[in-house]
Parts: sequence; structure tokens; C-alpha cells
Amino acid sequence: MSEIKQDKQPKLQPQGQQQQKKKFESPKREAILDLAKYKDCQVRVKLMGGRLVVGVLKGYDQLMNLVLDETIEYMKDTNDEVSKDKTRSLGFTVIRGNILASISPMEGSEIIYMQTSD
Amino acid sequence: MSLPADILPLEVIDKTIDQPVWIILQSNREFTGKLVGFDDFVNVIIEDAKEWIVNEEHSELVMEHNGRMLLSGNNIVMLVPGGKKDV
Repeated sequence: MSEIKQDKQPKLQPQGQQQQKKKFESPKREAILDLAKYKDCQVRVKLMGGRLVVGVLKGYDQLMNLVLDETIEYMKDTNDEVSKDKTRSLGFTVIRGNILASISPMEGSEIIYMQTSD
Repeated sequence: MSLPADILPLEVIDKTIDQPVWIILQSNREFTGKLVGFDDFVNVIIEDAKEWIVNEEHSELVMEHNGRMLLSGNNIVMLVPGGKKDV
């Protein structure tokens, strides 16, 4: 009897560990937004700090780091407002995911009103 | 499950190692220099960095740093492989 128990115990322990591991495994997380839809499309990206860039989405990762091509940044003016005409071209860029504030496709959206310095 | 995107951002950064890079921070400050390395947080080491303050119209060179410089990833917004274009 005691021999059998000893045999079983080591077998049981790993099983218990496996169960524990399963318990702590978080449910599989899928990205809330499937950026594949926007691939090779123009997107407007707002960043923390108030920057606004527009570019063609070329790539991304799980952390929402982005790769944009033909990137254009709308510059802030002296009043700290983003203006429509003051832009600069950045070209091929990598944008950090942790400072990303919003991302939306350009197609199907238009600027209704944008603040100007006046 | 979606297929992974063809171009991964960190791969792009990895490919710019040993090449000029232009790093834009949340503030109006920017750095250019040669990218030496980076980590998962995109803390970055650049060599012979130039520090710029950017206004609407132009960017002003405020400092040149010799040797290597560690730049915290905390404030980095954008990285542009190839360096600064408009100067």
C-alpha cells in the first residue's frame, strides 16, 4: 500500500502543478481592433502630447506600435493648436504604441472643422 | 486570428541599427544620430546625437552630444529611419 502511495504521489504533484498553471493562464487576448483591415490604407493617428500624423499603415504589432509610410505630421502653432496647413513630411516612420491616443481610417472621414490660430 | 503584419515595427527599428535615425519626443524636442541599440521599451542608445528644438517654421540645433547617449523610451513618440530630412 505504502509503496503504491509513494508511486502515485510524485505523479499527482505534476498534475496539480499543471492545473494551477492552467488556472493562471489568462484567456487568449485578441486585439480589440483588427488593424489588418487598415493595412495599406491612409490612417489618421493622434498621439499623446497632441501630435497628429497621417500616413499609410504598413505594419503593426500586438502592442500597437505602428509602421507608417508617407507620414505627414500636422504641426502645432504657437497657440498649441494643430493647424491644417502647417505640415511636414516625415516619410517612413515607426510610431510607439504606448503613446498612441487614437487611430482612424482617412477613407470615409473628412475634416468638418479645424481650429486655426485666428 | 489575423495574420501578423508583414512589417513589424521593432523589426524596422532593428534594421536601422548602425544607421542614422531621427527620434521625435512628446515635447518639441528631437534627436538625430546613429542608432546603436534599443530594448523592448524602445529605450534607445544613439551615437553623436544632435538635439533639436522644433518650432512651427524651423528646427533649431541646441546641442551636440559626443559619444553615446541613452534616451529613455518613455518620451519617444516616433522614430524615423534615415535621419532628419529637412536639414
